[in-house]
Amino acid sequence: MSEIKIVNATGLACPQPVVLAKEAIEKNEKVKVIVDNETALENVTRLGTKLGCDVSREAKAGGVFEITLTRREGAPIPAPDISVSCDASAAASGPFVIVCAEDKMGRGNDELGSVLIRAFMHTIAGQAEKPDVMIFYNTGVKLTLQGSETLEDLKELAAAGVEILVCGTCLNYFEVKEKLGVGVVSNMYDIVGTMSRAGRLLTP
Amino acid sequence: MTGQPSYYVMLFKAVSYALKAEKILKAEQLPHKLIPVPKQISSDCGICLRFESKLRTRIEDCLCNKVEIADVCPLIK
Repeated sequence: MSEIKIVNATGLACPQPVVLAKEAIEKNEKVKVIVDNETALENVTRLGTKLGCDVSREAKAGGVFEITLTRREGAPIPAPDISVSCDASAAASGPFVIVCAEDKMGRGNDELGSVLIRAFMHTIAGQAEKPDVMIFYNTGVKLTLQGSETLEDLKELAAAGVEILVCGTCLNYFEVKEKLGVGVVSNMYDIVGTMSRAGRLLTP
Repeated sequence: MTGQPSYYVMLFKAVSYALKAEKILKAEQLPHKLIPVPKQISSDCGICLRFESKLRTRIEDCLCNKVEIADVCPLIK
C-alpha cells in the first residue's frame, strides 16, 4: 500500500544525503535513498536506525547503494533535533564526553598545567557547544571540590545540563568525599559505560 | 551569574607575571579569576586576570611596583 519515495543523493557530499533522507522520511512511510559513497551509506543507515525505521541496504553497480527506510507502524514522526554527523564511524552518534584524569592540563610543568586547566574550564563553560558528560577521576576529582578554582565554571556547566560524574573511589582515596562541590559521585560502571557510548571523547 | 557585574581584564607580558600577580591577589583576598585572554583583545594564547570593575583601583594599587602590568582594559562580552 505504501508508495516509495525515491531520493537520489548521488554526487552529494555529507550532510546532504542525510538531510534529504530525513526530510523525506518525515513525510513518507517508505523512502529509498540512492547514494554513491560509503560515508553516506553509513550515515543514512544510522539515521534510519535512530529514527526507528526498518533499514535495508542493497549494493548496486558502480559503487551505488540503495537504502530503503521504512517507518515502523506507530513510530513517531522523527524528532526535528536529530543531529547530522559527517563522521563515518558508527560511534559518532553518542554523547560528547570530556574526561579529566588530572587536575592539570598537559604534562611537563605542574604550575602551568593548573593554569591551563582553569583556562580550559572557563572556556568550555562559555562555549555554545557544551559536552553532554564530564568525567573526573584520579587527581581530576580535585577540580570538583569546594574551594577549587574551577568550581564556579563546573557549576555553570552543571546548571546548563552537563552531567558531571566524579569517581567515588578517587574521592575516597583522597579522603575528600564530603568536600564535593559539584556533580554526582559515580562509579567505574557508569564511567566505563559513558566512555563506551561516547561519540566523541576529549581529554584536556 | 545574574546581575551581570562588569569586568576588567589585566594583561601581562608573560604568564609568570600573571601567576605572580595572582599569588599577591590571593594573599590580599581580592576576588579575581585567571582566564584566557579574550579573543577580541589578542589572538595570542595568553592568560589574564579578570576582576570586577569596582575592584580596579584596589587591585592596581596592590600590584603596583610588584608586577609589571602590560594593560588593563574593560572586558566586553
